[in-house]
Amino acid sequence: MLTYFANLSPQHRRSWGLVVAYVALLLAVSYVDFGYNTAGQTAFRGILLGMLVFMVASGLSLIFGLLDVLNFAQGAFLLIGAYVGYDVYTSLDAGTTVRFLAAIVSGVVFVGVLGAIMETGLIRPLYDRPVFQIVLTFGLAAVLLDLVERYYGPDPKQPLDPPGFLDNNFTLFDQSLSYYRLFIIFLGLTMMVGVFLLLNRTRIGIIIRAGVQDSEMVQALGINVRLIFTLVFVLGAALAALGGIALVPYQGATLEMGNQFLILAIVVIVIGGMGSYEGTAIASIVVGLTRAVAEQLSLEHFDAPVLAETSILLLMIVVLLVQPSGLFGREE
Amino acid sequence: MTDKPVILEGHALRKEFGGLVAVADVHIQVRAGSLHSIIGPNGAGKTTLFNLLTGTLKPTSGQVIFKGQDITGEPLHRRVHLGLGRSFQITNIFPSLTVLENVRLAAQALGGDNFKFWAHFKRFKQYTETAVYAITQVGLESQMHVPAVILPHGDQRKLELAILLASDAELLLLDEPTAGMATEQVPMLLEIIQRVRQTGDKTIMLVEHNMNVVMNISDRITVMHLGEVLAEGTPAEITQNETVQKAYLGELYGDFAEIIQEGA
Amino acid sequence: MMSMIERTIYANTQKIKDPTLRGLAESAARLVLENWAYLLFVIVLWRFPYIVADLTDTEVQPRRPTGDSVFWQSEMARALALTCLAMSYNLLFGFSGVISFGHALFFGAGGYVTFIVLNEYDASYQQGALIVVIGITLILALFSRMNVRQLLIIALIGVLLTLLLMPGEGTLSFYQAIGLAVVASIAVSLISGVVTLRLRGIYFAMFTLALAEMFWVLAKSGTFRDITGAEDGLGFRDILPESFNPTPTFDGSRLDMYRLTVVFFVIVFIAIRRYLNSPVGRVMIAIRENEERARTIGYNTFYYKVLTMTFAGVIATLSGLLFVIWATDKRVHPEALSLKYTVDPLLNSLIGGIGTLTGPVIATLGLSLGETYLRNETFTLDTGLFGILTVWQLAVVLVVGLVWWLFRRPLQTGLRRVVDMVRRDTARAATFASGTHGHWALILGYYGLVVLLLLAVGLVIGSEIAHNLEFKGDVYNVSDLWELFLGILFVVVVMALPHGIVGTWNTFWANRRVRRLEQSAQQSAPKGNNSAS
Ligand SMILES: Nc1ncnc2c1ncn2[C@@H]1O[C@H](COP(=O)(O)OP(=O)(O)OP(=O)(O)O)[C@@H](O)[C@H]1O
Ligand SMILES: [Mg+2]
Repeated sequence: MLTYFANLSPQHRRSWGLVVAYVALLLAVSYVDFGYNTAGQTAFRGILLGMLVFMVASGLSLIFGLLDVLNFAQGAFLLIGAYVGYDVYTSLDAGTTVRFLAAIVSGVVFVGVLGAIMETGLIRPLYDRPVFQIVLTFGLAAVLLDLVERYYGPDPKQPLDPPGFLDNNFTLFDQSLSYYRLFIIFLGLTMMVGVFLLLNRTRIGIIIRAGVQDSEMVQALGINVRLIFTLVFVLGAALAALGGIALVPYQGATLEMGNQFLILAIVVIVIGGMGSYEGTAIASIVVGLTRAVAEQLSLEHFDAPVLAETSILLLMIVVLLVQPSGLFGREE
Repeated sequence: MTDKPVILEGHALRKEFGGLVAVADVHIQVRAGSLHSIIGPNGAGKTTLFNLLTGTLKPTSGQVIFKGQDITGEPLHRRVHLGLGRSFQITNIFPSLTVLENVRLAAQALGGDNFKFWAHFKRFKQYTETAVYAITQVGLESQMHVPAVILPHGDQRKLELAILLASDAELLLLDEPTAGMATEQVPMLLEIIQRVRQTGDKTIMLVEHNMNVVMNISDRITVMHLGEVLAEGTPAEITQNETVQKAYLGELYGDFAEIIQEGA
Repeated sequence: MMSMIERTIYANTQKIKDPTLRGLAESAARLVLENWAYLLFVIVLWRFPYIVADLTDTEVQPRRPTGDSVFWQSEMARALALTCLAMSYNLLFGFSGVISFGHALFFGAGGYVTFIVLNEYDASYQQGALIVVIGITLILALFSRMNVRQLLIIALIGVLLTLLLMPGEGTLSFYQAIGLAVVASIAVSLISGVVTLRLRGIYFAMFTLALAEMFWVLAKSGTFRDITGAEDGLGFRDILPESFNPTPTFDGSRLDMYRLTVVFFVIVFIAIRRYLNSPVGRVMIAIRENEERARTIGYNTFYYKVLTMTFAGVIATLSGLLFVIWATDKRVHPEALSLKYTVDPLLNSLIGGIGTLTGPVIATLGLSLGETYLRNETFTLDTGLFGILTVWQLAVVLVVGLVWWLFRRPLQTGLRRVVDMVRRDTARAATFASGTHGHWALILGYYGLVVLLLLAVGLVIGSEIAHNLEFKGDVYNVSDLWELFLGILFVVVVMALPHGIVGTWNTFWANRRVRRLEQSAQQSAPKGNNSAS
């Protein structure tokens, strides 16, 4: 950890400073404006949202950082994960915990397979036509959304009961909360650390990074680079699906949630710096907090929580103007 | 030659890529009307130096001074208008446009009609004329209406030169204009360069690997190695220079060794 | 070298003595000879209500506004509005290489801004608008590296427009409201341009997507119901001036409005064509080809991109307004801001051919009118198509074809392995793998076999599914499956036909011309001077 900070470039060190100052400012503002308890609740909500956003953004960032593909279908993956998970969760005949685990497994596997088909069949032939790649993922997102709507109907699905072992409440900042929220935060953190370790500490991670750096070289070593690209894509898709399923007990499943989280994820990777994993992690929390505080602010002062939507876009504009390559991105 | 004014000056130019120092505090002065060659082995930083001078890259530190004016902060496109044109080592053209259109666009850039969005571009005959003239100079007139992408490599190199000629720059930076050309075509291209320089009163900076050529046509030569300037002087001085000889010329450029032996 | 058209003109105008007259005759002849297809198309468009009336035996302007002619008038008008949207998208994406995923923002703005400023306008807003103008100028000054002169011009135009369009007292006219919608789209173009156009293209794509989605959410949200009407949108029935209102109650103006729409379409088409043939348009195409090169020959590519974006944005805004005017319920819904109206023009440009003038027109008109035409059709899996295949058989063939096409590489590799294994004849297999001409028959045989096999399996399974499962007798509506059909079409075009319909056609002819030119160049070139390759 210490060596990490010692090795930071000056730009990144400044970015850390900015992030810490900004978060402190947010917390201070909410403390002054809402008082201790509401401020605490808001911050908790922000972190929760940050974790959820991270699940989509990390997939987006991984796929972009490693394959240079901007996958606009990431939101659709989340959506499909959520709906498939919902389907399994409600249709199985077993205890909640079992059903929940089954939902996770089936949703992740389903979306993973979908991702694999998409990468091998559609994305792979287009690596030398990047513009069409972007357009394709964008169009596919619309197609997938349409399919989900056709299959599951346009009505939103109500939130489900969290699995049994999490179906308890605890009190934080004078508010009774489900353990499930803690579980989401835990899941997000695990993912954060897990993917980091996977990429940096395991053999396959090293091969992935090498394959991306110099695919011909790695190919020459007798490693199937195409397979690696597919794996990365599948991993990204699966992360999004996991995020989607995690959302189901929390806020149900709606057709809009895919794009909603895609936009948040886009803002996150732009702010964090395209392709930077640590940037994505940090920016997720920042965006989550900003969003939660803005929501609370506009609720209290204008009675219009929807205004919070604009706050993250403003944040993105400011970052783009001040630091075009994002907080932790490489300079263009 | 030394009495001519300095037209372009690089002052302590430095460029780092991550940890790699591609150009290390280079001082260079190019005098008006001269043909100034840069030589050096692969990876010496010649292209990077050109990129710094023309504004494709921002220097980590140092200044670029053109005709007495500090242009370090000027963006790429503005420098062309000041009279600083370049060609690329790796062919860099508009692939699906015709040869004529490639060159015509370069001519149009310098005129003041770029934002006239209601007039047909063919109305501005002067640009087409400039373009046709430049194309004739490099001898591509029979290919004028062919998409640039289907030209053979040698002709694309000529097209690259024509684009540069059409923009009527005072100072031409040519980055290995003969790179990848068939050997028998090289003299012709160099002849064009010589002709342009004499008739148009231009200054030329040239990166070139063929030592015979460099020694024959240059007024001054700068030798680069690992991002640094190893030596600078007239061709005669460079041939004499012991550091240059010892350091690397003899081994790296076979033909250069021959020249030295012939001279001695 | 004279083209045939030039020769014809020359031969026929020689007799005219008076030089001015001859010049006029020449230009007129050139206009007709070069554009006869376009002219013909416009005439057909113009007469379209009458053509439909003749064909269906209905009236063009019946007393009660019903009947096929009336119906198709508004369908055609809506399709034309969408065509203009697609053309403006293609101007950006196809001709300039700028990927915008927020085009719907402009489309929706046409309706929303016009309505909102008309409804909410208060004379004191003039001062507010002036402050906004100053603010935008300041942002540009800080972040866009424009020089003082350019900034002053922009500020001046902004102030003039504000004073012109926003009266200091009284209310706005409909035209002023349209003007303000246009100004708003210009402002949005400028801001998003300054924020992102300097960065890599994907930033622009992401930024515009986020921006449009945000406005869509704001428009939908119940919080601003007073202003935006939330899910219900805003009704134009009462605010449209009579001359713009093609509703049943004003059926007298319907035909005029239809003609106005055609005129708008023609103007947009000509404007885009002129723009592309102007010096600016040439530079834009150069930027699409190779932006870095365009900068090294002295173009500040940023200005050209912002200019083109503004132009495209304005066209999209006006098309959006036109679309609202022709909407059956005369309302602008939040849907106008949704992804649909970004995906639609993108799809139409792609199918028609990106970077072609006529492609988006053909694709949009074909697809939207086709949808209307087939809207009420229904079919079951057993419906026969042209008496050759039934629907499910066609579906099987398509799926098999798609699977084969998508996975042809792995399938081929697998096939080779199988051949290797079966024959144990490595030498033979190696030549087979390298695909030398001697083995054409072999290759065709094997591949044909695989396709047939796939087809057979597909047909068997398909027939099982079609006849034993629950949805055997289900009746499908074409309109329900239309979007799905478009989606599949989209994927197929992106993967297999990247130049679209018109683009592929053009490439074919261009290649032929190039081959001719090459031949003639070779013949005319002196011997021994052939360029080495
Ligand atoms: N954009 C870049 N990013 C990182 N390193 C770079 C970049 N451009 C050049 N370099 C490195 O800088 C060094 C100098 O490269 P440069 O292209 O200037 O050499 P050169 O003298 O032109 O060589 P050549 O004769 O092969 O053209 C090389 O080591 C190269 O790898
Ligand atoms: Mg070089």
